[in-house]
Amino acid sequence: MATTAPLPSNFNQTSALAPTQTGFRFPPHYSFPPFFTLQPVASTRSSQLSSWSSLIQSYCRYNRIFSLSIIDTLNTPLFYNASLNRRLNLRDAKAILSYMSTSEGDNRAEFIGRGKQKAGEEDGGKVWIYWRRPEEWAAALEEWVERTGQKGTVLTLYEIVEGDASRKEEFWSMDMDLLQKSLAVCVKRGKAQIFGSEGSEGVKFF
Amino acid sequence: MDRRRTPGLSSLSSRGLQSHHYTTHGAALRTRNAQSLETQLSVFQSLLHNFALTHSKDIRANPAFRAEFARMCSALNIDFLASSYHRDGRAADGKGGESIWAQLLGGSVNDFYFNLGVLVVEECRSTRAENGGLISVSDLKARISKGRGIGGGMDVSDDDIKRAVESLSPLGSCFSIMKIGHRSLIRSVPKELNTDQSTVLEAIQVLGYVTVSMLQLNLNWERPRAHAVVEDLMADSLVWVDTQAGENEYWSPAFITATAT
Repeated sequence: MATTAPLPSNFNQTSALAPTQTGFRFPPHYSFPPFFTLQPVASTRSSQLSSWSSLIQSYCRYNRIFSLSIIDTLNTPLFYNASLNRRLNLRDAKAILSYMSTSEGDNRAEFIGRGKQKAGEEDGGKVWIYWRRPEEWAAALEEWVERTGQKGTVLTLYEIVEGDASRKEEFWSMDMDLLQKSLAVCVKRGKAQIFGSEGSEGVKFF
Repeated sequence: MDRRRTPGLSSLSSRGLQSHHYTTHGAALRTRNAQSLETQLSVFQSLLHNFALTHSKDIRANPAFRAEFARMCSALNIDFLASSYHRDGRAADGKGGESIWAQLLGGSVNDFYFNLGVLVVEECRSTRAENGGLISVSDLKARISKGRGIGGGMDVSDDDIKRAVESLSPLGSCFSIMKIGHRSLIRSVPKELNTDQSTVLEAIQVLGYVTVSMLQLNLNWERPRAHAVVEDLMADSLVWVDTQAGENEYWSPAFITATAT
């Protein structure tokens, strides 16, 4: 314990002192070394997977991350606890994200650009992290349009995610592709219409 | 006492008379003593009654105060979780059915522990997959004080939790407090740990983690024995394995919060 005990407290200190650097408060699990090894026992593993899922979601929400590249994330604080010198390996990270992409994991992730390939075959691709799912984003967008009285006006996609009017909204600086996905849901629900050509689309809510 | 010994038969009768006087006087003293004690007790109880009424808010709000209050009550042999039948007087005068504190405080202190008991059960159940049904009292305390809903947080002491767990005892042997090392853990699975398993958990609590070779060295166990114990514990989710340290390290999730703070 002598070697490991001071580390978590150090970690807490640095995160408290330098809120701008990481700012995110990791849950207690993050300081628990076995958390970074997927547990072989099924029941433990499923609890661990759901803990990871909520950690990834809250981390991404905090840092406004909408998609992850698995390989690049392996060296970020999310998957690598430098103070413990513990990291998630590629296989386990994929397993966690695959779990998140299933209905068991509440569909909180989706592998990008995966066609007919099955889970595990892809080489550390990009993954959407749905701390809000597209349908939840759609609802948030509709609610925002309603609240700000922009029904019937044409909005560009750019002004939705980069404009001053939405600076305080959760979808500010959202990934364009994800926005398109979410707007598609609005269209499907009959709440919006997209027009214009690729790259300069506008959307009208009604 | 000055005693004149009269010879003959008269001594017999006077001695009898004397001892009779002694016994009646003794009995009178005893009853007077008992009476005064009884009045003292009833005065004390009514004072305690008033005290509980005037301070019921504090009792509910302040964990340290509540613990002291509960300690005082148990010192007086008053169990405020028990039903009224522990005091014949109350059952007899028809007020029975509620515990004395439920009557005094409209059930609030009593309910407090039952509510806390429900929270304890909830937390134990929701963390069972993670820690195999063994959670440290301090971890549980942190979870309860954080609460789940809005305004759900509750400031409780270790003592409160112990009492709440005790109040769950009528539900069977599922919930109990066990001591490993100097730390109290709440066990929410009916499984009994064998000596080897408790020894390992105790070692984990002291050292933070164990490895098979640590067990071999420190406890003089054969490798298969050490291996079997940690495998058993792992199967029950009582320990988690960390494979990134060379030799596998086994950590107890009951101390997740403890290691983090």
